[in-house]
Amino acid sequence: MLKKILFSIILFYFFVLLQTSFLVHFSIWGIIPNFILILVIFWNFFENSKKFLGLHNALIGGFFLDIFSNRIIGFYILILLAIAVFIKLVIKKHVRIPFIEKN
Amino acid sequence: MFTNFHFGLIWGKIEHNMKFSSKKSKLLIGVLVLILVIFLLNIFQKNVRSFFYSVSAPIQKVLWGVGDRVADFFGAIIKINSLKNELDEEKLENQELLSQIVTLRELKKENKVLREALEIELQKEFKLAFAQIIGKDISQDSILIDKGSEDGISENMPVITQQKALVGKISEVYKNLSKVMLISDKKSSFDAKISVSDEEEKDIPGVVKGKGNFKIMFDLVPREEEVSRGEIVSTTALGGVFPKGLLVGQVKEAKKTDVEPFQEIEIESAFDIKNMETIFVITEF
Repeated sequence: MLKKILFSIILFYFFVLLQTSFLVHFSIWGIIPNFILILVIFWNFFENSKKFLGLHNALIGGFFLDIFSNRIIGFYILILLAIAVFIKLVIKKHVRIPFIEKN
Repeated sequence: MFTNFHFGLIWGKIEHNMKFSSKKSKLLIGVLVLILVIFLLNIFQKNVRSFFYSVSAPIQKVLWGVGDRVADFFGAIIKINSLKNELDEEKLENQELLSQIVTLRELKKENKVLREALEIELQKEFKLAFAQIIGKDISQDSILIDKGSEDGISENMPVITQQKALVGKISEVYKNLSKVMLISDKKSSFDAKISVSDEEEKDIPGVVKGKGNFKIMFDLVPREEEVSRGEIVSTTALGGVFPKGLLVGQVKEAKKTDVEPFQEIEIESAFDIKNMETIFVITEF
């Protein structure tokens, strides 16, 4: 678990740097896709609903987004956590996908 | 036997309750710790941000440079046809501009002679500090540059490109880094003028306001004024935010409605964040 969290810290740090410095040059009509948001959504969507790494990832991703934006720290943490919890709840209560259940 | 069964039942219930409450209290403690940590981070946000920025500045610098080159390469491939047309147009425009430069040189000479005759001191050029862009803010229109308080940079200093086009002003200063609020930020507004290029050569004053997402508007121009596409917007010394004569951009579109007392003028900024790598901070003007 600790190894996985460390891995996602490095992953999200790399992604945030990519987004603030590299992807700026590839913006489409001034819009830069938020890869951290996309990653958090996908992770929570495809993770087994009994595991919690997706929530940790939302926390880590939100923290890095907060650091590299002008807003108060906590803004993106809250948003991403809310999204992650929402996805987890919906999937746990209403969705049964066999190949994900096995993981 | 009976008591044993009874005891077991109660014990089971207690255990169940304890399990339930311990899970709940764990969650509660987690949330409380999270709130506390966020609170502490906000108190020390300047130090936290400064630490992360200075650690990642070298990586970001490299990434910015690589991104610039890669985007240039692919952009050129995609736009090869339109670039050809553009080149022809530019060539024509270039010749026109060259002839203008010749006349302007003559005027400059004349101006110099007249100034000497009148003994007016020429306007001093600005003191500039050179800086490199290392990143863009995630949600707002601001960028990070690699010069900070140690290099003599302080808040509210204007930032320009090599071509004297206005980029923004310094909004936050760290030890070796600072944040630049672009003129397209929603919080940015300053005095400027449109120089109309017809025979009268009059100026239309107004206020440039940021709209977010690299968009800027020119506000407070009455409906009666005629503004056409391509006219040049530059700063005025009014308000004291920026020195006068810096290029802001060109008029992109002017909309008039019968309801609004002012026109809605969209400006195309003179700088392009995608192609910028170095900028200048005006430390004295």
